[in-house]
Amino acid sequence: MKKITDEKFIVPIGPQHPALKEPGHFEFTVDGEIVTSATARLGYAHRGIEKAVEGHNWAQNLYILERICGICSHTHATNYCLGVEKLAGVQVPPRANAIRIILSEMERIHSHMLWWGVAAHEGGFDTLFMYTWRDRETVLNLLEELSGNRVHYSANVLGGVKFDITPEQKEKVYTGIDFLEERTRRYLKIMTEDETFLQRTRGIGVMTREQAKRLGAVGPTARASGVFRDVRIDSPYIGYENYLPQIITDMAGDLEARFTVRVRELFESFRIIREVLDHMPESELKVKMPRKIPAGNVITRVEAPRGECFYYIESNGSDKPERIKVRTPTLPNWGSVLATSAGHKLADMPMILVGIDPCFSCNDRAVVLNKEDEENTWQWKDLRQYGINYYK
Amino acid sequence: MKENRLNLTESLEKAEALLSPWIGEFTRPDDHRLDAIVAAADLVPAVTALVEAHWGYLAAITGIDRPAERDEDGVPQGEDEIEAIYTFCWGPAIASLRVRVPYSNLMIPTVCDLIPSASFYERELMEMYGVVVENTPNPERLMLPDIWPEGVYPLRKSFKGLHEPNPRGS
Repeated sequence: MKKITDEKFIVPIGPQHPALKEPGHFEFTVDGEIVTSATARLGYAHRGIEKAVEGHNWAQNLYILERICGICSHTHATNYCLGVEKLAGVQVPPRANAIRIILSEMERIHSHMLWWGVAAHEGGFDTLFMYTWRDRETVLNLLEELSGNRVHYSANVLGGVKFDITPEQKEKVYTGIDFLEERTRRYLKIMTEDETFLQRTRGIGVMTREQAKRLGAVGPTARASGVFRDVRIDSPYIGYENYLPQIITDMAGDLEARFTVRVRELFESFRIIREVLDHMPESELKVKMPRKIPAGNVITRVEAPRGECFYYIESNGSDKPERIKVRTPTLPNWGSVLATSAGHKLADMPMILVGIDPCFSCNDRAVVLNKEDEENTWQWKDLRQYGINYYK
Repeated sequence: MKENRLNLTESLEKAEALLSPWIGEFTRPDDHRLDAIVAAADLVPAVTALVEAHWGYLAAITGIDRPAERDEDGVPQGEDEIEAIYTFCWGPAIASLRVRVPYSNLMIPTVCDLIPSASFYERELMEMYGVVVENTPNPERLMLPDIWPEGVYPLRKSFKGLHEPNPRGS
């Protein structure tokens, strides 16, 4: 009989991904039920955005970049605005910054709630999935109330924000946040007490503090391994220095910790939103930006719901950027999770993959246009005219 | 447990001290940033110094195409180069190591032995710019499709789009 000891058994997962309704391809080398190594192949949602921005002007790029991700569109827009405003030497009015913070934290709430649902679904707990997604509608409705949109709020413009928050809207936000806070307490109880669910999360996918630090894990994934890493605190932006969140960490480093860190940090988000609304400064909403941005380069970082989002922006002094590099939080978290996946059971892989709250559009970035139906293809000119007519 | 943190100035001074054996001149593009050019051969020892001292983490590897200026006849005035920026972040401090390699010898050593999670960044650098990252554990494509032609690097300035018909037939 042929000896098979030297041969590897590889289990491919994806690109039709079992953990999320998003595409990614993973190959797990297994020894029986135990995973011995893992690799990834991404790019199924690659749209070439980093190339596209080099061909468009600074104002247009805002709209391209905030479409990198449907969940954290505000993160990308804020990060880009911060960088360009810094290069241009423009100071954003305080009220605009306050609105940016409120939107950032509301985005974190809706993103984390979306993730609890998906992760609960992976753990076979569909009731929790449905409850969290029902409650998530509250924050989406609030975002729609403020911006007119559920996910692409498009709040930022270079130099400020587009819309104000009226006293009536403020009251609605307070009410919504109160409801969500109460629900979040309930979810924290479920995630830390439900026996069957804990069997899927406790002690699974452990990443030690040393590993998380060395592999460069970011955001809640790092904080769940006891790493104090939060851009809002490390390098405050858009006025977070006045509303510092308390850093939420857990030393366990397992899936349960990744759940509880995300749930607990929402209480900080609720508190920050209330505090900012209580102390809204009065000022203009935006300042004028130059069309051409002075030459130079800038690195900006924003704490996205999934962790540190990194932008490198270089200007050559013209009206178009020389280079914009986007490094989203999912990419370093993949690296760290795949590096620590060895030794775990194959059956735990979907939960471990989903445990970092992966976002494929973020790590892929790129637009497939179906040209068969030419009548529905809008050119830039049409889109611009539509925008002008809309805001008339 | 509170992490032992240095303040901004101390962190940047420490990075400067750690990197000084390999770097001639540092610049400060911003008050929280340290920027330096490092030779490709010195990249691994410089990164080792940062990693061994636990100076932050590798936040990104940014590639930039630096084609030489062309005169009126399109003759290059100098050498076309690719720049790779290794950015490390530690609290508020950011340290960037810039490696520049000419088109004629696009070789950069891997840092995956020190930082295994750098694999993704190195794969992206390879497929987008045509840089060869020597001894990187997984040289396969990360983002570009399997049908993407060999030797076409989309983030180079010379790339203006694929002019072959789209295989999807649209």
